[in-house]
Amino acid sequence: MAGEVVLGYDGQHGSEVALRTATQIAAAFKRPLVIVFGYSPTLMGGDVGDLRRAVRELGEQFTEKAVADVKALDPSVEVEVQLVDLRPAEAVLEVARVRDALAIVIGATGEGPMKGALLGNVTYQVVHRSTRPVVVVPEPDED
Amino acid sequence: MSSETAQAAAGGSVESKGLKSDALGLASATVIGVASTAPGYSLAATLGVVTAAGVGFKAPAIMWIAFLPMACIASAFYYLNRADPDCGTNFSWVTRSIGPRWGWMGGWSSMVADLIIMPSLAAIAASYTLSLFGLHSQADNLWWQLALGILFIMAMTWICVVGIELSARSQLILLGTELGVLVLFSVVALYKVWAGKIHGSVQPSISWLTPTNMGGAKALTEGMLAAVFIYWGWDTATSVNEECEDSSQTPGKAGVLSTFILVAIFVVVTFAAQAVQGPGYLSDNSSDVLSATGSIVFGTTGIGWFCLKLLVLAVLTSSAASCQTTILPAARTALSMAMHRAAPAKLGEVDPKRLTPAFSSWLYGVISCVWFTALTLLTRYQGGDVLTWSALGVGLMISYYYGQCGFACVIYYRRYLFKSVKNFFFVGLLPLIGGITLAFLFVYSLKDMTKSDYTDPAANWFGVNPVMVMGLGALLLGLPLMFWWNTHDHAFFRVRPDPIDTRPPPEGGDPLPALVEPGAPR
Repeated sequence: MAGEVVLGYDGQHGSEVALRTATQIAAAFKRPLVIVFGYSPTLMGGDVGDLRRAVRELGEQFTEKAVADVKALDPSVEVEVQLVDLRPAEAVLEVARVRDALAIVIGATGEGPMKGALLGNVTYQVVHRSTRPVVVVPEPDED
Repeated sequence: MSSETAQAAAGGSVESKGLKSDALGLASATVIGVASTAPGYSLAATLGVVTAAGVGFKAPAIMWIAFLPMACIASAFYYLNRADPDCGTNFSWVTRSIGPRWGWMGGWSSMVADLIIMPSLAAIAASYTLSLFGLHSQADNLWWQLALGILFIMAMTWICVVGIELSARSQLILLGTELGVLVLFSVVALYKVWAGKIHGSVQPSISWLTPTNMGGAKALTEGMLAAVFIYWGWDTATSVNEECEDSSQTPGKAGVLSTFILVAIFVVVTFAAQAVQGPGYLSDNSSDVLSATGSIVFGTTGIGWFCLKLLVLAVLTSSAASCQTTILPAARTALSMAMHRAAPAKLGEVDPKRLTPAFSSWLYGVISCVWFTALTLLTRYQGGDVLTWSALGVGLMISYYYGQCGFACVIYYRRYLFKSVKNFFFVGLLPLIGGITLAFLFVYSLKDMTKSDYTDPAANWFGVNPVMVMGLGALLLGLPLMFWWNTHDHAFFRVRPDPIDTRPPPEGGDPLPALVEPGAPR
């Protein structure tokens, strides 16, 4: 299958907002939604094994809730979860590329481009490295 | 991408462990290996200490000799990591091969090693920051030292907690600058010495590199103890290299490449630096050895001034990188121990927002600050200096836990050692040589430290050498803690080492079962 909507998800408020948009897009285009959580920690410092496992467990909890959220918003949308052993940005890009995604949906972080470029901010990386269209969803003001 | 990856992603399964990055190319893998060792900082912290050990002009030789046991241990790391990639810590390897008590002490010793080196990092960061801004008059000021050092430790801890990570390109630029400026320093120094432009310089000799007449066993071991530390962190490259599994060439190449870069840079810089004013000058200026030597080499005006500042800046960024590669493994070992019920569960908490072991990182940062303050005050009022004590103390710890790892590898794979020549050599012989060398270094250094003339005669705590109190004391402090935890939760200590049917061969195999079954009784 190809042409899914891919959502980069980290369980935080920004990605919950993005989840709503992603669900709407998936429903409007009648495409399945793939929720991606990349759980590999930074390789700097070594000793990644157990931390990776712990983060993966967190990812399982987060994405379980995310699936429930999507179903609550629109039960007709087909949802799938991908827990990927990559850094978060790589995970989203990789899944989108393999699936030939219709679009990537991701939350904005509100960081400037300079900081984003220097510090390898996830949204920034995805926007600039993706070969697929990217929808960046800002957090609404009231929060 | 491999077909496995494509299947995993396209198959739509929830599990997709098969997705692995082959984005971690040769450059990135090499960068991580070299940056984890932090050559700029390592040199700044140890040049003066190694020359002070009494090895005369042989410091460059010490630099490559110290690499040999480390390379042997790297082979042990590589193969143990293959058996147990899902844990990937010295703590779990030793537990599986020798037993839970040794494993516990292995984890403890690696955390203590990280802790012992923190004052050195903070002190270097403080003195090179002052040097960067030309505040030389403040360099000996206790309050500046303490304030800048603590600020540095807390800032680095914060970076680890938040999970800020330089992009691959920024890392490459930083490391490139660091290596570039070290090479520039060496080239300019050697040229000026050769051309007779530096007053008081020493004509370099090839005999500086040969392993003969090293000033006796005491000088050699003390020099080695300080020098094993410069290669510490390099093993990270071996385990990280496992990550770029998809490309069968990259891991080996990156390991070899980072090795050559490191050995070359350490030997060349040491060689050049001692030609400038002789080894005595390096030990006399051990606290800011690169900026002191750099100001002679580059001068303090014009383009030389700029190069000097660049050198100082390179040491600072290198210290920052090294500090992170010290805090991260310490916090991760704590997390590992907690996850296997060898330590309180609180240490195993992962912050849900940052996805990092925030609690253990902060705890580690705070303890580091306390230890840095204590050591700075003690050395100030008792004589001695922070850098020497940290480097020698951490040398003891590294000898202990790396040595243990070498033996662990041989014991773990004992049934495979004679299956092939390759196994015998890389899984048996090299780790064993590394283990024996480091064990010898550990025992001999301890014995040596009981003599009163070690490092600094003025310093004497309770009639014993302070480095020994610090190193051995910190290691032994683990014992009561281990026994306390054993009475609290016994599950981890019931682990049996090395059940024969679960042990994969050196070529790798199925994932090993958990050390402690979930829900095991106390």
